[in-house]
Amino acid sequence: MKVNGIEIDDTFAEAFGMAGTGVVITADTMKWARIAATTMAGFGTSVIGAGAEVGIDRELSPAETPDGRPGVRVLLFGFSPDAAAAQLKTRVGQCVLTSPGSACYAGVESEKRIGLGQGPRFFGDGFQTAKRLGNRRFWRVPVMDGEFVIEETTGVVTEAVGGGNLLILGNDRAGLLETTEAAVEAIGTVPDVITPFPGGIVRSGSKVGSKYKGAIASTNDAFCPTLRGRVKSEVGPDTIAVLEIVIDGLTSDSVAQAMKVGLKTVLDQGAAKGVTRVTAGNYGGKLGQYHYKLRELLP
Amino acid sequence: MSGLTFRLTSAPSERLDLSHLTPHKVASMPLAELLKLNVGSTKNGLKIGDIFAVSGQPGDSVRIEGSTSRFDFIGTDLKHGSMIVEGDVGVGAGRSMRGGRLEIRGDAGTLLGSGLSGGEILLKGSAGSQVGGLTPGDRFGMTGGLIAIEGDAGDRVGERIRRGTIYIRGKCGDYAGARMVGGTIWTELGFGAEPGMLMRRGTLIAPSVARMLPTFADAGRHDLVILRILSRYMASALGALAPRALPGTVRKYAGDLATIGKGEILLTAP
Repeated sequence: MKVNGIEIDDTFAEAFGMAGTGVVITADTMKWARIAATTMAGFGTSVIGAGAEVGIDRELSPAETPDGRPGVRVLLFGFSPDAAAAQLKTRVGQCVLTSPGSACYAGVESEKRIGLGQGPRFFGDGFQTAKRLGNRRFWRVPVMDGEFVIEETTGVVTEAVGGGNLLILGNDRAGLLETTEAAVEAIGTVPDVITPFPGGIVRSGSKVGSKYKGAIASTNDAFCPTLRGRVKSEVGPDTIAVLEIVIDGLTSDSVAQAMKVGLKTVLDQGAAKGVTRVTAGNYGGKLGQYHYKLRELLP
Repeated sequence: MSGLTFRLTSAPSERLDLSHLTPHKVASMPLAELLKLNVGSTKNGLKIGDIFAVSGQPGDSVRIEGSTSRFDFIGTDLKHGSMIVEGDVGVGAGRSMRGGRLEIRGDAGTLLGSGLSGGEILLKGSAGSQVGGLTPGDRFGMTGGLIAIEGDAGDRVGERIRRGTIYIRGKCGDYAGARMVGGTIWTELGFGAEPGMLMRRGTLIAPSVARMLPTFADAGRHDLVILRILSRYMASALGALAPRALPGTVRKYAGDLATIGKGEILLTAP
């Protein structure tokens, strides 16, 4: 079907169950909270290659944080709670503990908990102390600019979803990028989701497997415009580029909402900027537990 | 919110042990049995029905009206629900409380919140000595929860407490936080002599100390993030009764260096 001159494939995005957790990082200024969050989310694009998918959910006003300073909520998704906990430990230890003025708190509330400060507290070399206030426990680790405060645990949910996606095709690379950027920005307003790739956008969509031994994924040749004519291509003659938005969320509803918001933005703005078609990535529906049909997400 | 009200009808001739008057205990027995409950402290066998008029339906709250300083152990073992006491209370109010909320609209005797591990005690008046402290046989004093005192508190507040928070809007007596293992004691008008004697960990907060132990080391002025969290916690737990947020910078004294010295006295005065 066509909406606003853009073709919408009658297909679905196939996504997978993941473990999702999160932290709230605060600092003396939003600038430094953002720096710590961005550093922690670095190299957190694909759970397969990077061990976890990490991104900024949103910025928090001082009224929304445990210590009344500006903050940023970072979400992290892994294959399992244990895998997420291991990634959390190293990322917080290397990227948040080290960042000037930072503090780190639970960013997801759930009954199931994983360690947050349980590892980094040992950096205190015995000088660390704990403070329990109500049902929350905080570690105070002495560091060179004062104290690094970190909550003992954070919540983890096992109903999280990774791999919601939109594939956007166009005949103008610059216009396509602008449109996709706008969609990512709109998705940023949806709570509990992240778009973990650079700027929220993937240009190197992958297929499972490769002709080379040891490579578990390789370029999605069907969507590579330069291979049209050589492979069984998914792109038509009017397409010169394809960009993908990958979405992870703490719930299936949040992923669906993010896809909906992203799709609407593309349909509202895309035609004038060379967007010709929107589709979604799937594996035939046999691998992922979650299917998001594009026609059900139309505005 | 349903609950029973115990209204004093005649002044008791002896001290009373009211540890049984918690919501979950009174709800577990028929009214006739409740009225026969022995609450006296002598061989006279003083019963609830002899001194209280009981009204209302058993539920998640208990109200005691006409309370005096001879009413001991009110709120002992409270697990959930709320208790409101109109008047003063005697010894050991909130002893070993694990949850719920005990509000006392008067003064309290010694050992308020002794052995508290959860829940909140709100005292409108002043408290005697050993708030949150321990009794013979206890390993620790308070191990959790919150005690908020609108008035002053006596000596030895928070002796050997391990966790939890004691807030005193007024003055705090001598030897607060002795042998403390953790937790927080915060007074708005200052500590008496030698707070934190032999404390291992924990935090004492006040504008001033009457006499500082020589085994506390001046660590300088600091802007501590944990104090922002503490101020917010108090605001959420106490609402309108919460203290003003702590100042950005406090002077820290580390001690007691006669032990492991991981405790601190934080002076809020500029």
